Amino acid sequence: MRRTLMLTVLGVLGAPVLAHAADAATGGGWVGPFAVIAAGLGMAIAAGLCGLGQGRAVASAVDAMARQPGAAARIQTAMIIGLALIESLAIYVLVVAMILLFVQPIK
Amino acid sequence: MDVIEHPPIFHLPGIPDHVTYTWLVMIVLAGLALAASRNMGLVPRGVQNLMEVVIEQIQGLIDDVMGPEGRRYLPLIATLGLFILVGNLMSVVPGFATPTANLNTTAACAVIVFLTYHWIGIRKQGALTYLKHFMGPVPLPLKPLMFVIEIISHLARPLSLSLRLFGNMTGGHILLAIIFFLMGLQGLIGWALSGSSAGAVIGGIGGLIMVAFTVGFLYPLKLLVAVLQAFIFIMLTMLYISGAIEEAEHGHEAQHH
Repeated sequence: MRRTLMLTVLGVLGAPVLAHAADAATGGGWVGPFAVIAAGLGMAIAAGLCGLGQGRAVASAVDAMARQPGAAARIQTAMIIGLALIESLAIYVLVVAMILLFVQPIK
Repeated sequence: MDVIEHPPIFHLPGIPDHVTYTWLVMIVLAGLALAASRNMGLVPRGVQNLMEVVIEQIQGLIDDVMGPEGRRYLPLIATLGLFILVGNLMSVVPGFATPTANLNTTAACAVIVFLTYHWIGIRKQGALTYLKHFMGPVPLPLKPLMFVIEIISHLARPLSLSLRLFGNMTGGHILLAIIFFLMGLQGLIGWALSGSSAGAVIGGIGGLIMVAFTVGFLYPLKLLVAVLQAFIFIMLTMLYISGAIEEAEHGHEAQHH
Protein backbone atom coordinates (compact mmCIF):
# COMPACT_ATOMS: atom_id res chain seq x y z
CA MET A 1 0.00 0.00 0.00
CA ARG A 2 2.61 2.47 1.13
CA ARG A 3 5.04 1.41 -1.56
CA THR A 4 2.35 1.79 -4.22
CA LEU A 5 1.59 5.28 -2.97
CA MET A 6 5.25 6.24 -3.02
CA LEU A 7 5.70 4.82 -6.51
CA THR A 8 2.66 6.77 -7.70
CA VAL A 9 3.97 10.01 -6.25
CA LEU A 10 7.38 9.34 -7.76
CA GLY A 11 5.79 8.57 -11.10
CA VAL A 12 3.70 11.73 -11.09
CA LEU A 13 6.59 13.92 -10.05
CA GLY A 14 9.07 12.12 -12.30
CA ALA A 15 7.00 12.03 -15.45
CA PRO A 16 7.87 15.56 -16.54
CA VAL A 17 11.57 14.75 -16.30
CA LEU A 18 11.13 11.73 -18.55
CA ALA A 19 8.96 13.75 -20.90
CA HIS A 20 11.56 16.47 -20.93
CA ALA A 21 14.34 13.99 -21.62
CA ALA A 22 12.30 12.78 -24.57
CA ASP A 23 12.11 16.19 -26.24
CA ALA A 24 15.19 17.82 -24.82
CA ALA A 25 16.20 18.78 -28.34
CA THR A 26 13.34 21.26 -28.63
CA GLY A 27 15.03 23.50 -26.08
CA GLY A 28 12.01 24.13 -23.84
CA GLY A 29 12.51 24.79 -20.14
CA TRP A 30 12.01 22.07 -17.58
CA VAL A 31 9.88 24.14 -15.18
CA GLY A 32 6.75 24.17 -17.34
CA PRO A 33 5.44 20.64 -16.67
CA PHE A 34 6.19 20.98 -12.97
CA ALA A 35 4.31 24.28 -12.96
CA VAL A 36 1.19 22.52 -14.26
CA ILE A 37 1.49 19.85 -11.55
CA ALA A 38 2.10 22.49 -8.89
CA ALA A 39 -0.93 24.48 -10.02
CA GLY A 40 -3.20 21.44 -9.86
CA LEU A 41 -1.88 20.09 -6.56
CA GLY A 42 -1.82 23.52 -4.94
CA MET A 43 -5.38 24.26 -5.97
CA ALA A 44 -6.50 20.84 -4.70
CA ILE A 45 -4.87 21.31 -1.30
CA ALA A 46 -6.15 24.87 -0.99
CA ALA A 47 -9.70 23.92 -1.97
CA GLY A 48 -9.78 20.99 0.43
CA LEU A 49 -8.45 22.87 3.44
CA CYS A 50 -10.57 25.92 2.63
CA GLY A 51 -13.59 23.61 2.58
CA LEU A 52 -12.64 22.28 6.01
CA GLY A 53 -12.29 25.79 7.40
CA GLN A 54 -15.51 27.05 5.89
CA GLY A 55 -17.30 23.94 7.14
CA ARG A 56 -16.21 24.67 10.70
CA ALA A 57 -17.30 28.29 10.38
CA VAL A 58 -20.72 27.43 8.95
CA ALA A 59 -21.24 24.68 11.54
CA SER A 60 -20.62 27.11 14.39
CA ALA A 61 -22.81 29.77 12.80
CA VAL A 62 -25.73 27.39 12.28
CA ASP A 63 -25.30 26.17 15.85
CA ALA A 64 -25.43 29.74 17.14
CA MET A 65 -28.44 30.56 14.96
CA ALA A 66 -30.30 27.53 16.27
CA ARG A 67 -29.59 28.57 19.86
CA GLN A 68 -30.51 32.21 19.33
CA PRO A 69 -32.89 32.65 16.41
CA GLY A 70 -33.33 36.31 17.33
CA ALA A 71 -29.74 37.10 16.44
CA ALA A 72 -29.81 35.11 13.21
CA ALA A 73 -29.44 38.13 10.91
CA ARG A 74 -26.34 39.48 12.64
CA ILE A 75 -24.77 36.04 12.88
CA GLN A 76 -25.41 35.48 9.20
CA THR A 77 -23.71 38.75 8.28
CA ALA A 78 -20.69 37.91 10.40
CA MET A 79 -20.61 34.42 8.93
CA ILE A 80 -20.62 35.73 5.35
CA ILE A 81 -17.77 38.12 6.10
CA GLY A 82 -15.80 35.34 7.75
CA LEU A 83 -16.44 33.03 4.83
CA ALA A 84 -15.21 35.71 2.44
CA LEU A 85 -12.02 36.14 4.45
CA ILE A 86 -11.41 32.37 4.54
CA GLU A 87 -12.21 32.01 0.88
CA SER A 88 -9.79 34.73 -0.11
CA LEU A 89 -6.94 32.41 0.97
CA ALA A 90 -8.05 29.85 -1.59
CA ILE A 91 -8.45 32.67 -4.10
CA TYR A 92 -4.79 33.61 -3.55
CA VAL A 93 -3.83 30.06 -4.52
CA LEU A 94 -6.11 30.31 -7.55
CA VAL A 95 -4.32 33.48 -8.63
CA VAL A 96 -0.92 31.83 -8.14
CA ALA A 97 -2.12 28.80 -10.12
CA MET A 98 -3.31 31.05 -12.93
CA ILE A 99 0.02 32.86 -12.96
CA LEU A 100 1.80 29.49 -13.15
CA LEU A 101 -0.44 28.28 -15.95
CA PHE A 102 -0.97 31.33 -18.12
CA VAL A 103 1.72 33.91 -17.41
CA GLN A 104 4.58 31.44 -16.78
CA PRO A 105 7.14 33.81 -15.30
CA ILE A 106 9.75 31.00 -15.16
CA LYS A 107 9.96 28.87 -18.25
CA MET B 1 -4.80 33.90 -20.85
CA ASP B 2 -6.01 33.64 -24.43
CA VAL B 3 -7.12 30.09 -23.72
CA ILE B 4 -10.00 31.26 -21.56
CA GLU B 5 -10.70 34.69 -23.01
CA HIS B 6 -13.07 34.74 -25.89
CA PRO B 7 -13.42 38.08 -27.63
CA PRO B 8 -16.78 39.56 -26.65
CA ILE B 9 -19.37 40.31 -29.31
CA PHE B 10 -18.86 44.06 -29.10
CA HIS B 11 -15.21 45.03 -29.44
CA LEU B 12 -13.75 48.49 -30.01
CA PRO B 13 -10.39 48.32 -31.78
CA GLY B 14 -7.49 49.60 -29.72
CA ILE B 15 -9.40 49.70 -26.43
CA PRO B 16 -9.21 46.85 -23.88
CA ASP B 17 -12.47 44.99 -23.47
CA HIS B 18 -12.83 45.64 -19.76
CA VAL B 19 -12.69 49.39 -20.41
CA THR B 20 -15.39 49.14 -23.07
CA TYR B 21 -17.64 47.18 -20.76
CA THR B 22 -16.92 49.50 -17.85
CA TRP B 23 -18.34 52.23 -20.06
CA LEU B 24 -21.35 50.01 -20.65
CA VAL B 25 -21.81 49.67 -16.88
CA MET B 26 -21.58 53.46 -16.57
CA ILE B 27 -24.18 53.92 -19.32
CA VAL B 28 -26.54 51.44 -17.64
CA LEU B 29 -26.20 53.07 -14.21
CA ALA B 30 -26.45 56.63 -15.53
CA GLY B 31 -29.48 55.69 -17.60
CA LEU B 32 -31.14 54.10 -14.57
CA ALA B 33 -30.40 57.17 -12.47
CA LEU B 34 -31.77 59.53 -15.14
CA ALA B 35 -34.88 57.43 -15.64
CA ALA B 36 -35.45 57.28 -11.90
CA SER B 37 -35.02 61.01 -11.28
CA ARG B 38 -36.79 62.42 -14.34
CA ASN B 39 -40.36 62.27 -13.07
CA MET B 40 -39.80 62.27 -9.36
CA GLY B 41 -42.96 62.09 -7.32
CA LEU B 42 -43.80 61.80 -3.65
CA VAL B 43 -45.35 58.42 -4.41
CA PRO B 44 -42.64 56.57 -6.33
CA ARG B 45 -43.56 54.62 -9.42
CA GLY B 46 -41.67 52.45 -11.87
CA VAL B 47 -37.92 52.92 -12.05
CA GLN B 48 -37.92 55.43 -9.23
CA ASN B 49 -39.55 52.83 -6.98
CA LEU B 50 -36.93 50.23 -7.90
CA MET B 51 -33.99 52.54 -7.27
CA GLU B 52 -35.47 53.75 -3.99
CA VAL B 53 -35.77 50.16 -2.80
CA VAL B 54 -32.13 49.51 -3.71
CA ILE B 55 -30.88 52.66 -2.00
CA GLU B 56 -33.00 51.98 1.09
CA GLN B 57 -31.56 48.48 1.36
CA ILE B 58 -28.02 49.84 1.25
CA GLN B 59 -28.96 52.55 3.73
CA GLY B 60 -30.38 49.96 6.12
CA LEU B 61 -27.17 47.95 5.80
CA ILE B 62 -25.10 51.05 6.60
CA ASP B 63 -27.30 51.84 9.61
CA ASP B 64 -26.83 48.28 10.86
CA VAL B 65 -23.07 48.16 10.44
CA MET B 66 -21.83 51.72 10.93
CA GLY B 67 -24.54 53.38 12.98
CA PRO B 68 -26.09 56.78 12.26
CA GLU B 69 -22.82 58.56 11.40
CA GLY B 70 -22.31 56.19 8.48
CA ARG B 71 -24.98 57.87 6.34
CA ARG B 72 -22.44 60.47 5.19
CA TYR B 73 -20.64 57.76 3.25
CA LEU B 74 -23.73 56.43 1.51
CA PRO B 75 -22.78 57.93 -1.91
CA LEU B 76 -19.38 56.23 -1.93
CA ILE B 77 -20.62 52.88 -0.68
CA ALA B 78 -23.75 52.72 -2.82
CA THR B 79 -21.83 53.76 -5.95
CA LEU B 80 -19.19 51.10 -5.36
CA GLY B 81 -21.85 48.50 -4.65
CA LEU B 82 -23.97 49.28 -7.71
CA PHE B 83 -20.95 49.49 -10.01
CA ILE B 84 -19.54 46.17 -8.82
CA LEU B 85 -22.96 44.50 -8.83
CA VAL B 86 -23.76 45.51 -12.42
CA GLY B 87 -20.20 44.65 -13.49
CA ASN B 88 -20.48 41.22 -11.87
CA LEU B 89 -23.88 40.54 -13.40
CA MET B 90 -22.35 41.07 -16.84
CA SER B 91 -20.52 37.79 -16.32
CA VAL B 92 -23.77 35.86 -16.78
CA VAL B 93 -24.68 37.59 -20.04
CA PRO B 94 -23.29 35.47 -22.88
CA GLY B 95 -21.01 37.41 -25.20
CA PHE B 96 -20.20 40.18 -22.74
CA ALA B 97 -16.84 40.79 -21.13
CA THR B 98 -16.88 41.21 -17.35
CA PRO B 99 -15.20 44.40 -16.16
CA THR B 100 -14.65 43.00 -12.68
CA ALA B 101 -12.90 39.89 -14.02
CA ASN B 102 -9.92 42.13 -14.76
CA LEU B 103 -7.48 42.94 -11.98
CA ASN B 104 -7.17 46.58 -13.09
CA THR B 105 -10.84 47.35 -12.39
CA THR B 106 -10.95 45.66 -9.01
CA ALA B 107 -7.62 47.16 -7.95
CA ALA B 108 -8.92 50.62 -8.84
CA CYS B 109 -11.96 50.10 -6.59
CA ALA B 110 -9.81 48.70 -3.77
CA VAL B 111 -7.31 51.56 -3.94
CA ILE B 112 -10.17 54.08 -3.77
CA VAL B 113 -11.46 52.33 -0.63
CA PHE B 114 -7.96 52.21 0.90
CA LEU B 115 -7.23 55.90 0.34
CA THR B 116 -10.73 56.94 1.43
CA TYR B 117 -10.79 55.21 4.78
CA HIS B 118 -7.36 56.50 5.70
CA TRP B 119 -8.40 60.01 4.61
CA ILE B 120 -11.56 59.74 6.73
CA GLY B 121 -9.55 58.53 9.73
CA ILE B 122 -7.02 61.36 9.40
CA ARG B 123 -9.77 63.96 8.93
CA LYS B 124 -11.62 62.69 11.99
CA GLN B 125 -8.77 62.62 14.47
CA GLY B 126 -5.70 64.28 13.01
CA ALA B 127 -2.68 62.62 11.44
CA LEU B 128 -0.69 62.08 14.65
CA THR B 129 -3.50 60.53 16.66
CA TYR B 130 -4.43 58.33 13.74
CA LEU B 131 -0.84 57.13 13.31
CA LYS B 132 -0.54 56.58 17.05
CA HIS B 133 -3.47 54.23 16.88
CA PHE B 134 -1.52 51.84 14.68
CA MET B 135 0.62 50.98 17.70
CA GLY B 136 -2.29 49.32 19.43
CA PRO B 137 -2.94 48.62 23.10
CA VAL B 138 0.38 46.94 23.90
CA PRO B 139 3.21 47.79 26.32
CA LEU B 140 5.81 50.31 25.16
CA PRO B 141 8.64 47.94 24.08
CA LEU B 142 6.29 46.13 21.72
CA LYS B 143 4.95 49.25 20.04
CA PRO B 144 7.43 49.48 17.11
CA LEU B 145 6.82 45.83 16.26
CA MET B 146 3.06 46.36 16.45
CA PHE B 147 3.36 49.40 14.21
CA VAL B 148 5.11 47.43 11.46
CA ILE B 149 2.62 44.58 11.71
CA GLU B 150 -0.34 46.95 11.54
CA ILE B 151 1.10 48.75 8.51
CA ILE B 152 1.54 45.43 6.72
CA SER B 153 -1.96 44.30 7.62
CA HIS B 154 -3.42 47.57 6.36
CA LEU B 155 -1.45 47.25 3.11
CA ALA B 156 -2.83 43.73 2.70
CA ARG B 157 -6.40 45.02 2.78
CA PRO B 158 -6.56 46.49 -0.77
CA LEU B 159 -4.64 43.46 -2.02
CA SER B 160 -7.15 41.01 -0.59
CA LEU B 161 -10.14 43.18 -1.61
CA SER B 162 -9.05 43.32 -5.24
CA LEU B 163 -7.81 39.73 -5.47
CA ARG B 164 -10.99 38.33 -3.90
CA LEU B 165 -13.30 39.99 -6.43
CA PHE B 166 -10.98 39.28 -9.36
CA GLY B 167 -10.40 35.66 -8.36
CA ASN B 168 -14.06 34.88 -7.85
CA MET B 169 -15.10 36.36 -11.17
CA THR B 170 -12.21 34.86 -13.15
CA GLY B 171 -12.63 31.50 -11.43
CA GLY B 172 -16.24 31.39 -12.59
CA HIS B 173 -15.10 32.21 -16.11
CA ILE B 174 -12.52 29.42 -16.12
CA LEU B 175 -15.12 26.96 -14.83
CA LEU B 176 -17.55 27.90 -17.59
CA ALA B 177 -14.76 27.81 -20.19
CA ILE B 178 -13.76 24.29 -19.13
CA ILE B 179 -17.37 23.08 -19.22
CA PHE B 180 -17.86 24.62 -22.68
CA PHE B 181 -14.59 23.08 -23.80
CA LEU B 182 -15.87 19.67 -22.67
CA MET B 183 -19.14 20.31 -24.49
CA GLY B 184 -17.77 22.00 -27.59
CA LEU B 185 -17.09 20.63 -31.05
CA GLN B 186 -13.91 18.92 -29.84
CA GLY B 187 -15.78 17.42 -26.90
CA LEU B 188 -18.98 15.57 -26.27
CA ILE B 189 -21.15 17.27 -28.88
CA GLY B 190 -18.49 16.78 -31.52
CA TRP B 191 -18.38 13.11 -30.56
CA ALA B 192 -22.16 12.91 -30.85
CA LEU B 193 -21.99 14.42 -34.35
CA SER B 194 -19.04 12.29 -35.45
CA GLY B 195 -21.24 9.56 -36.92
CA SER B 196 -20.22 6.55 -34.84
CA SER B 197 -23.13 4.99 -32.97
CA ALA B 198 -21.30 4.70 -29.65
CA GLY B 199 -20.28 8.34 -29.94
CA ALA B 200 -23.86 9.36 -30.68
CA VAL B 201 -25.15 7.64 -27.53
CA ILE B 202 -22.40 8.56 -25.08
CA GLY B 203 -21.74 11.99 -26.52
CA GLY B 204 -25.42 12.84 -26.69
CA ILE B 205 -26.12 11.79 -23.10
CA GLY B 206 -22.93 13.45 -21.85
CA GLY B 207 -23.71 16.65 -23.72
CA LEU B 208 -27.22 16.75 -22.27
CA ILE B 209 -25.86 16.22 -18.76
CA MET B 210 -23.34 19.02 -19.28
CA VAL B 211 -25.99 21.42 -20.59
CA ALA B 212 -28.28 20.61 -17.66
CA PHE B 213 -25.36 21.05 -15.24
CA THR B 214 -24.47 24.43 -16.73
CA VAL B 215 -28.00 25.81 -16.85
CA GLY B 216 -29.19 24.27 -13.59
CA PHE B 217 -26.12 24.67 -11.41
CA LEU B 218 -23.36 26.85 -12.81
CA TYR B 219 -25.48 29.83 -13.88
CA PRO B 220 -27.35 30.09 -10.53
CA LEU B 221 -24.00 29.71 -8.78
CA LYS B 222 -22.52 32.54 -10.83
CA LEU B 223 -25.53 34.75 -10.08
CA LEU B 224 -25.14 34.02 -6.36
CA VAL B 225 -21.42 34.72 -6.45
CA ALA B 226 -21.98 37.98 -8.36
CA VAL B 227 -24.41 39.33 -5.75
CA LEU B 228 -22.43 37.95 -2.81
CA GLN B 229 -19.11 39.44 -3.91
CA ALA B 230 -20.65 42.89 -4.41
CA PHE B 231 -22.19 42.57 -0.94
CA ILE B 232 -18.91 41.50 0.62
CA PHE B 233 -17.01 44.32 -1.06
CA ILE B 234 -19.27 47.05 0.32
CA MET B 235 -19.52 45.22 3.66
CA LEU B 236 -15.74 45.26 4.10
CA THR B 237 -15.64 48.89 2.93
CA MET B 238 -18.12 49.77 5.67
CA LEU B 239 -16.11 47.84 8.26
CA TYR B 240 -12.88 49.60 7.27
CA ILE B 241 -14.48 53.06 7.33
CA SER B 242 -16.22 52.44 10.65
CA GLY B 243 -12.93 51.10 12.02
CA ALA B 244 -11.28 54.39 11.07
CA ILE B 245 -14.11 56.41 12.65
CA GLU B 246 -14.64 54.40 15.80
CA GLU B 247 -11.08 54.80 16.91
CA ALA B 248 -11.81 58.48 17.53
CA GLU B 249 -14.71 57.76 19.83
CA HIS B 250 -13.67 54.77 21.86
CA GLY B 251 -10.01 55.54 22.09
CA HIS B 252 -7.67 52.58 22.19
CA GLU B 253 -9.70 49.48 21.87
CA ALA B 254 -9.14 46.20 20.16
CA GLN B 255 -10.01 46.90 16.54
CA HIS B 256 -11.61 44.35 14.38
CA HIS B 257 -10.25 43.32 11.05
